[in-house]
Amino acid sequence: MSRRLLGLLLVLPALAVIAFLFILPLIMSAVGAFQVEGAFGWGNFTKTFDLYTKDIIFTVVIVSLSTVLIGIASVAIGGYLTLGEHPVAVAILRWLYRWPMFIPFIVVGQILRTFLAKNGMMNNTFINLGLLTPLDAVSFLDWRGIVIAFVWKQTPFVALLVAGAMASINRDTIEAARNLGASRLRLLVEIVVPQVAMTLTVGLILSFVTMMSVLSVPLMINAQSPTMLTADIAFRVNSYGDYGVANALGLISLVLASSVAWIYLRASLKERA
Amino acid sequence: MERDGFLELRGVASRYGATQVLTDIDLSIAKGEFVALLGSSGCGKTTLLRLIAGFIGPSAGEVKVRHRDVTHLPPDKRGMALVFQSYALWPHMTVAQNIGYGLKLKGIPRAEIAARVAAMQSLLGLDGLEARKPQALSGGQRQRVALGRALAIDPEILLLDEPLSNLDARIRLTVRHELRALQKRLGITAIHVTHDREEAMVMADRIVILNAGRIAQQGTPEDVYNRPASAFVAAFMGAENVVFLNGMPQGDQFMIAAGLANAAGNVPIAGRPLAAGRVEARFRPEAARLFAADELAVTGPGITFRGEVAAVSYPGGHWRHVVRLGENEIMADADRAFAPGASVCVFVPAEALFLFNSPEAASVSPISRAASGKVHA
Repeated sequence: MSRRLLGLLLVLPALAVIAFLFILPLIMSAVGAFQVEGAFGWGNFTKTFDLYTKDIIFTVVIVSLSTVLIGIASVAIGGYLTLGEHPVAVAILRWLYRWPMFIPFIVVGQILRTFLAKNGMMNNTFINLGLLTPLDAVSFLDWRGIVIAFVWKQTPFVALLVAGAMASINRDTIEAARNLGASRLRLLVEIVVPQVAMTLTVGLILSFVTMMSVLSVPLMINAQSPTMLTADIAFRVNSYGDYGVANALGLISLVLASSVAWIYLRASLKERA
Repeated sequence: MERDGFLELRGVASRYGATQVLTDIDLSIAKGEFVALLGSSGCGKTTLLRLIAGFIGPSAGEVKVRHRDVTHLPPDKRGMALVFQSYALWPHMTVAQNIGYGLKLKGIPRAEIAARVAAMQSLLGLDGLEARKPQALSGGQRQRVALGRALAIDPEILLLDEPLSNLDARIRLTVRHELRALQKRLGITAIHVTHDREEAMVMADRIVILNAGRIAQQGTPEDVYNRPASAFVAAFMGAENVVFLNGMPQGDQFMIAAGLANAAGNVPIAGRPLAAGRVEARFRPEAARLFAADELAVTGPGITFRGEVAAVSYPGGHWRHVVRLGENEIMADADRAFAPGASVCVFVPAEALFLFNSPEAASVSPISRAASGKVHA
């Protein structure tokens, strides 16, 4: 009996941290989303959908597009690390691709702001190379900038997971397909990727949820409307002290994030069955 | 059809970093032949198979199929299919998809793929399993799917990398015969890598024994078993008993001098390149005949050792004795048990006694030979 008590005591601090710093605020803000001036109602949500339907769609599209691009890029990187036949190129890629992981989102935003602006480094380079005239130069500091920032920052993380999973699959399964005449692309798409599908899904879902919660990138790169839900939440709280609509927006973000987590859970259950 | 040189290796060598894995491999395999590459682990047999398959390039030499140089062709352009030791089935594909993948890569229409996969399934006894994933199959079934996948593309040459080593001992025995029968029925040329001597003996038309990256001997199973070309081959083929003797050739006989533990005797040379001096004698436990010291009845040419039984055990079928001959210990089988401590004679008939000039003894003078004898006796 005392042993059980001791065990309970040992996990208590962790449990308390989760309960008071995570579960309780979550419940409070969820409840807060349904409170309008002391009474329960849908007021916050009607207001949210009136003002921010475009932003909700914008967020979903941006994050989904980024997730797809991250998936393609990380499979390409992992695939080259696994199937690449040029040892020097593989070594260089292996050394290079992880760097963006160690750069904070806010710094990514700052770097890309100077890089993607109308007279930024990218356009200047193109103009100097004669690929672009100064008149045709456009700023990428809109939804495209956000997507570029997300893909640049999150690809290394997913690629790290995917490359690890690819390295641990049975090499013979790759050689068996090569023996039957599969091209490099078919090897990747039909033999390698299906065997790491679960890892890829996990990486993409974690990325999706991370991107849903990034505030600095939309603030730095996309200072216009429509924008992402995180910027809207910050705006509601900081400018109006309107916690009701902020909570409603937060709850909508949570629903969007948990819907992809649900896809993952269903897939993993199916895999185990 | 071409009887000779269907698949030919000429002076093939392979290096892994600074290590020489294969050296100077010359091998000619006829169409429809079943060849076993036999050797202990690390002898280069799997490297040789992967080199033939085209997964690694040789550092020297060439590989030819039907007199066509395939040395630098990719694996799929050689008309060969490899069955992997791990089977390497694709876990995300069903049995039918695994077997049919090679056909799909060739752009064969779906209906024809289905027909050929079904035919392959019934050939291999996999009917009704087409929708299963590899995880839901037994080891024997997986092995047959791997074989079906390789055979489905109708290769001219089937390469087998220890395909039976992951099977239960009992299943392995039946699969040996099934695989051999299938190979004969299809008339396909097969190269089988194994470290199992009995497996190679039972299945192959020809055995190629590899040692340290070189071909130690090649020939029919009877050849390599009864006429080993070197002490290594003799030992690998089960002649583990080793005794050092002195002798000299005289006419067509090799006269063996009496030693501490052996009586004088003579055996026919039978074309062996034996020089006078110290020789390494090897024989199998089952080739030795054991007698009590006083009832020796020699029946033909051979050599007789005197010794004392050190231990006896019953592995099944016969009694196995450890016999001490001077400072040496050998194993000898007999139908009846001799008690430990009993004085016995061990008679090895000439045809089962493999003699080789020990390399260090061949070039030295008689005096130093005696000195070196103490080390080995």
